[in-house]
Amino acid sequence: MGDYISSEDEYYNDYNDDDRDSLDGYQHFRFEGGCQNESAPSSKVITKESLLTAQKEDLHTVMQVLPLGEHHARSLLIHCRWDVERVLAVLVEKGKEQLYADAGVTVVEHDDLSLSKFSSPLTCNICVDDVSTNEMTIMDCGHYFCNNCWTEYFIVKINDGQSRRIRCMAYKCNAICDEAKIRKLVSARDPNLAERFDRFLLESYIEDNRRVKWCPSVPHCGNAIRVEVDEFCEVECTCGLQFCFNCSSEAHSPCSCRMWELWGKKSQDGSETVNWITVHTKACPKCQKPVEKNGGCNLVSCICGQSFCWLCGGATGRDHTWTNITGHSCGRYKEEDVNKLEHAKRELSRYVHYHDRFKAHTDSFKLEIKLKETIQEKISKLEERDSAFKDFSWLTSGLNRLFRSRRVLSYSYPFAFFMFGDLFNNEMTEAEKEIKQHLFEEQQQQLEANIEKLSLFIEEPFHQYTEDKVAETRMKIMNMSAITDNLCKKMYECIENDLLGPLQQAIHIIAPYKSKGVEKASELPLCWGPNAGDSSINDEGGCSSRKRTRIGRSCRQSH
Amino acid sequence: MQPPIPQASRARLFKEYKEVQREKAADPDIQLVCDDSNIFKWTALIKGPSETPFEGGVFQLAFAVPEQYPLQPPQVRFLTKIFHPNVHFKTGEICLDILKNAWSPAWTLQSVCRAIIALMAHPEPDSPLNCDSGNLLRSGDIRGYQSMARMYTRLAAMPKKG
Repeated sequence: MGDYISSEDEYYNDYNDDDRDSLDGYQHFRFEGGCQNESAPSSKVITKESLLTAQKEDLHTVMQVLPLGEHHARSLLIHCRWDVERVLAVLVEKGKEQLYADAGVTVVEHDDLSLSKFSSPLTCNICVDDVSTNEMTIMDCGHYFCNNCWTEYFIVKINDGQSRRIRCMAYKCNAICDEAKIRKLVSARDPNLAERFDRFLLESYIEDNRRVKWCPSVPHCGNAIRVEVDEFCEVECTCGLQFCFNCSSEAHSPCSCRMWELWGKKSQDGSETVNWITVHTKACPKCQKPVEKNGGCNLVSCICGQSFCWLCGGATGRDHTWTNITGHSCGRYKEEDVNKLEHAKRELSRYVHYHDRFKAHTDSFKLEIKLKETIQEKISKLEERDSAFKDFSWLTSGLNRLFRSRRVLSYSYPFAFFMFGDLFNNEMTEAEKEIKQHLFEEQQQQLEANIEKLSLFIEEPFHQYTEDKVAETRMKIMNMSAITDNLCKKMYECIENDLLGPLQQAIHIIAPYKSKGVEKASELPLCWGPNAGDSSINDEGGCSSRKRTRIGRSCRQSH
Repeated sequence: MQPPIPQASRARLFKEYKEVQREKAADPDIQLVCDDSNIFKWTALIKGPSETPFEGGVFQLAFAVPEQYPLQPPQVRFLTKIFHPNVHFKTGEICLDILKNAWSPAWTLQSVCRAIIALMAHPEPDSPLNCDSGNLLRSGDIRGYQSMARMYTRLAAMPKKG
């Protein structure tokens, strides 16, 4: 470790010579520090306004391949959960007819769809009234009913929240009703409801879409996020909230979603307290209160007055000696109980260990947030001094690096708790686990040491320093930033490749490491042209090894 | 929102009532009767289908028609005790897709009765409301099922002799 630092020191001395090139040097350094090719953001913010645009893109793609009207394309996409690729895959696999039938799309020639070939009036099979043909509506599937019955039916369905898939009223008719006809009939009766119907159809793009989720902000910012590549990622909405796209909770990598959920449960229900109670107490056989033995012989009395045997928990009388209780015997040794007791004890101390560290780093993180202001003050003081330094981006980037790596470090503790706990007992032997734990902890310790150093450098009162010393601090911060960035990246790689990667049964996928922090989703352009969407579909954002994503995805679908 | 329109369901039920009166002879297995004072309450007497353990029995059904009928299905249950995998032994509740999610407004009370008769002849032991009955069928004990069902038909669905 010491060697490493001194060699870095030399490195920084080289750069110390020319201050003008500082920015270049910094960028160079960042590159060395393992900054990946970060292309355009792979996630987009969908606002109320751009929702229509987003939907149109996908509709357009389908309509280019299949000769369909927009409402049919929408039915197909809703059926396939807005997965254009899946629509095309089913089309190739099962053929057009099957795809249409499954999705409830009936394409008919327009002449077939008129009621004029029937003699008026016709009987509506719902209200059993005779109705003139111009008071009736025929759907694409060829079933016709009177406008009144259709309208009633649509109103019930829309109010039931089933706007996206309103099927024909005829028995076992799978056809989805033409949205234009629904809109026309419903708006004649209740314009507000027709508006709601339209909104439901629009929002289907968010609700029924694997790639799109509402931003979980409270109060809700009204935005949704669409990811282009991988749903295992962390994004930042334009409202500023950072969250894990997969589970909609706070950004928690390198913890997997499952681990984070378990961790939340653990700290919430205080299950370790429960563990302690099970280890140290026994329930009174009469009142069920937990009773702790505070000494003495094996005959224990509960405050309710009931006596019971501490060894087996069974109710007894009061007559006893030091060695036995009258009329009671339970001398058989139960190894199981002893093991359970020791295991619970160990789990408790493990949890306390990891929880303390997690909390310590989260607390430091909170304290460091306050640094932002102090740093800003220092910067303005330095600027006042009219020094050679004009650009203080190194300071803010250093600070941001500190925030990001601190976050990674704190979440690495819950990760370690589960990774080397009982969660994967059936996948790793104790020996394997131990080796891996050492490997991981080595990295974790290194990261921790460097983060503390970075924190120390940033907190230095450099606004009182001389020019030379400021330059020195600058290089120290830049060095340390690059090192921690690299260490974070390595830790993610270790987790993805060596720890979670080899698991066979459990599938845990973590959001990839982003050197620049949680990715900010970019806003979707409001105006839409046929080519606007193309560029975003192809960019393979993200980094490092995402080999397992596919597997994970297919498994998730099969659930 | 829009006011509830029970008129539509009332009109439709009235039509069904007239249809039932007119076609009384058409389906001798089904006898649909509307409550004298409430058009939303109906009862039906259906004959157990032949070549089933329900043959010879007459079963009474109770219909509770919702106000949004025919957009929503009527609630139907057996008043007569019946041993059948898809009928709750105590409440008479019926597990039938057309009475739940496969309901179409094009169904009528009459056609629901027909569907129930079909269900009596073709039980679905894999979605049982009456587990004992379902288990007999699923384990292949056809004789056991039939004799139980026949016994209950005799006990509950046939006129007392003597």
